[in-house]
This record gives sequence, C-alpha cells and structure tokens, in this order.
Amino acid sequence: MKTYGTEPGAPTPVQIGISELAVSDGDDTLKSFGLGSCIAIALYDPDSGIGGLAHAMLPDGDAVSNSDRKPGKYADTAIRALLRRMVERGASYTAVEAKLAGGSDMFEFDSFGDGVGQRNAAAARAELEKLGVPVVGEDVGGQHGRTVEFTPGTGELVVKTADEDEHGVTVL
Amino acid sequence: MRLDVNVLGTFYRMAREGAGLAAGRLTQMTGVETRVGVTKLNFMRGQEIRRDLADGSALVGVRVELTGAIDGHSMVVFDRDDAARIVEGLLSEAGADPAADADAFDRMSQSAVSEVGQVMNSGFVDGWADVLESVIDVSTPTFVEGESAEPFLDDLENAPADDDLALLFQSRIETVDAEIEFDHYLFPERDSMAALLDRLRTSDGIAYDKLDGFDRMAERGAEEMAETATKLTGIETTIEIRRLNFVSLEAIPQQVPDEKLVGVAFEFDGVPSGYLLFLFDEASAHEIVDAMVPMDVDDDGFDEMGRSAIMELGNIMASGFLDGWANVLDTTIDHSTPEFIHDIGTAAVDPVVVGLGANQEYAFVFDTLVVADGHAFDCEVYAIPDGSDLERALNDLEVGRIEETPTTAEFQDLDQS
Repeated sequence: MKTYGTEPGAPTPVQIGISELAVSDGDDTLKSFGLGSCIAIALYDPDSGIGGLAHAMLPDGDAVSNSDRKPGKYADTAIRALLRRMVERGASYTAVEAKLAGGSDMFEFDSFGDGVGQRNAAAARAELEKLGVPVVGEDVGGQHGRTVEFTPGTGELVVKTADEDEHGVTVL
Repeated sequence: MRLDVNVLGTFYRMAREGAGLAAGRLTQMTGVETRVGVTKLNFMRGQEIRRDLADGSALVGVRVELTGAIDGHSMVVFDRDDAARIVEGLLSEAGADPAADADAFDRMSQSAVSEVGQVMNSGFVDGWADVLESVIDVSTPTFVEGESAEPFLDDLENAPADDDLALLFQSRIETVDAEIEFDHYLFPERDSMAALLDRLRTSDGIAYDKLDGFDRMAERGAEEMAETATKLTGIETTIEIRRLNFVSLEAIPQQVPDEKLVGVAFEFDGVPSGYLLFLFDEASAHEIVDAMVPMDVDDDGFDEMGRSAIMELGNIMASGFLDGWANVLDTTIDHSTPEFIHDIGTAAVDPVVVGLGANQEYAFVFDTLVVADGHAFDCEVYAIPDGSDLERALNDLEVGRIEETPTTAEFQDLDQS
C-alpha cells in the first residue's frame, strides 16, 4: 500500500494512524491523534537514538491468521515488527526501552465486554515482558482520549489530553 | 448483479492504491511533497452526483474511456483553484511570467491542469489494474470544465440516471501546506461491472439493487432524526449532508476533527446492530443547552444539567434515527442508554473502531450532518452498523415495500440509569 513515507520526501511530523507503525531516528517526530481505547507503543534505543511508534487497536494478533498482513493492528505483532525494523536500522535489541499511552475505556457498552482499552495495555505489557523490553513509562487507562508525540532521539513521549486542567500534559 | 464485502474491499483497495500512485506521480511532476489522506467509497444517486458537480464552484475534470478489466468511463474531478495552485508551481519552474501575457498564461495553465489531471487519472487506473491484476486500457483524455453537471456527464452513454446508484471513489491528497481533494467517478458499463463483481465475489452477498435499501434507510433515519430534534429543542433543524461511505475501519477516525467535541454515543442491537455517535462542536453544544435549559449558567464546561440536556437530545435523535431504519427494514432496533463524552473527537470514534475491529476490516458509515438556520447547531452523526448484520438486514429487505413504509417516531423517556 502506498501511504505515508513510501513516496520520496513525505512531510514530517509523520502521522501514525490506527494500525500503522513507523521507525525513525533523531529529531523526527511521530504523532498519533486522539487515542481512545487504542494503545500507542513507543520503543527506542537511547544509545543510537533509533525508535518507533505503533498505534495498535487490538491485543492479540497471534490469535488471528492474517495478522502478518497488518502487524501494526495488534499490540503483540506491532511490538515485534517495531523491534525488528529498529534492529535492521541499527538499534541494539538489549538497549531498547518502551513507553505506553492510551488504552482508555471511554464507553461502558455491553458489546465491549470488560475493558477493551485495558486488554490492549495488558497485551502490550505482556509482549514486552516476554521479549525482555522494560517499560520505563506509561500513561494508560482512564476514560479520556490522548494525543501522543514521540521523538526517537530523546525517547520523549509527550501525552496531551483534551482537558489539560484535569489530566494535564504528561511527558514520559 | 450481486456484491459482497470482498468486492467492496477490493474496490476500496483499488481506490487506496490508485490514490497512492497518483500522489507519487504528482510529487514526481511538481516536486511538491504529497501523501494520501482519507479515501472513501461512496454510493451516490445520479441526481446527487449532478448536484455535487453543480455546487457553484468551478471544477475541472479529465475523463478517459476504459476497456479491459473494466469497461466504462473514469473521470477525475477537482476544484479549479486547487488545480491552479499545483499549476502555478509548475509554470513558475518553467519560467513563465503570469504578468507578461495573460492569455498565454491561461493557455499554458489550461494545458498544465489537463496534464496534472491526466497524470492523476492514469495513476488511479494503474492502481486499479495492479489490484485487479489485469490490464485496463485507457483512451486519450478529454478535458472538461464547468460549473454545472452538463459538460461532465451529458455526452456519456453510461452516466447514471437520476435514481441509479453509482460508485464514487473519493480521495484526498495532502501536500505540506494544502489539501487537494479529488473525486474520482467510475461509470462502468453494466455488463462489465456484473462480470467484475462475479469475479471478485467470495460469498453469495446481496443483490446490487438492494443497495437502494441503504439509501432509503439513511434517508428515513435522517428525516426522523431532524424532526425529533426540532420537536425537542424548538430549533428548526435540517439535514445538510447525507452520505453512505464504505471505508476501512482505520479511516473512520480520520474523518472526525481532532478538536475537543461534545458527543453522545450509543450501541444498538437488532438486525442490524452497531454504534451510533452524535458529535457537536462546543459552541453548538452550548447553544443547545441554552435552548433546552434556560436557567443553566455554566458557560465553560457542561454541568449535570447541561450533560443531561445533551444526552436527552441524543437519546431522542437516536430513537428517531433508528426508528427510521427499523421502519424501512420492518424490524425493531433497540439502543442503549446514552454515554456522554467531552473529549478529542477522534478519541470518541476510536472505541467503536476497536469494538468492530475484531470481526471486520471495513464498515459502512452512514454519515449525516444536521444543521439549523440562524443557530449554531452542527451535529455530525455517524451510524456504523456491524457488517454481517447489515448484510443480513438488507438481504431480508423486500425492495418493493420501501416506498410504502410510513414513518412514525415514538418518543421514549430517557432512562436515567
């Protein structure tokens, strides 16, 4: 699919839509708008300044047959895809750290079962633990939306909300 | 002629792929950085297409005849001003001086616009051919321009009649400092379309004619909803835009502004089941609260009274909307109690996308804009049914009875649980 970044000179900051992921380095910024129950997973290697951001909507890609077609859709497959691409670009696997944001439960609908947002956050933590990647910061859960902006070079993940009085701006 | 979700998914990928190639070629040609924004498949009646083409703004189009995997016509249409902006860049690179000779500049810009249109058109068609893994031959382009529908459609033998549903591919291509919107119409020959649908279909699907039911559902739902909103608030509301889009789930939040909005969300249950969202900008929400709760003085946020007023309105509108659907489908559709939200617009849609994401990749989005003359009352309504339920509902629908269906809406008391 020819979307962001595949044509020469795509504009920055790069927007990471739902089910998308991207790897970059240095001062480039990767941005995801209006996360509700989706989870933003930011991985980075502090030594090389290589990092990436994924915007996953569901927890478990291993449970479905076609997750290889869209690895960014699921928390587990997105994490592995990010790591692989970062290492290919020169990141050192053992140095990689993770930050998480999102995973809210905005609505209490019967069809949602209990906590789609929570399930996304839990799946991301579980996959990271399995891969030995430490979670060094997170702003997850609650009932509000978040917009995140990630700079791989510094590892800084800025989390903004609609109600700054109540939730403020969090810098992870 | 029958179609199913796989067919529509393939069409969607064609639109996406085509827009990607078109954007890439535009970059090569102009040196301007581009990327693909929202892509939608849209079902429109011939009369709506004519109305859109005649909305008063100057439009330019490039039309080609297609043969091969699809027989028919393909036409890229864009705003003349958008085209002019791209062309300005091209001509200044070529060293043309607009002040020197206005006529010559016009001639050059016409040919440059035409060239841009042709580059886009062939990008789209090449993208389609890639997805279909078949050859599509393209005739030499015809340049059309005007402020009415006639120059675009009148000499086309397979242009849709007023009541025919046609498929429209809508894509947005974004440059660093501008958004250029393209409408891409495909007017296929019926036999060719039928053969293509047969080839792409992986299930029994639904008869193409049943799509008519969609349109009636959307129409009735919207009418009932506007009527109930007017009764409750005393504000005369009308339906400004009504669209039926077929999009990938991921594209749904891209349609919603990422500013802070006030909304009411529901899930509904029946055949079909799904989600219904009402989103107001803050100014509209405040005006509605003022109209419904004259004593309320909280100007900044939404206190308990304000919230319950908005939820009550949402509840009434949801009942009206779903009653309209249920009447057309001859069924009952129940909805949940309202959930209030005051947050980033995209974050309100995201949970719905997540909710549907486990079982489907694409969704039909019934997108309606309710407005009021002389009042801030802008309400975006998104009804997103579960895909398989909707297919079932449409299959059960007898097209003949749609016209006879009376419309009635029952007011329900708001369940304050």
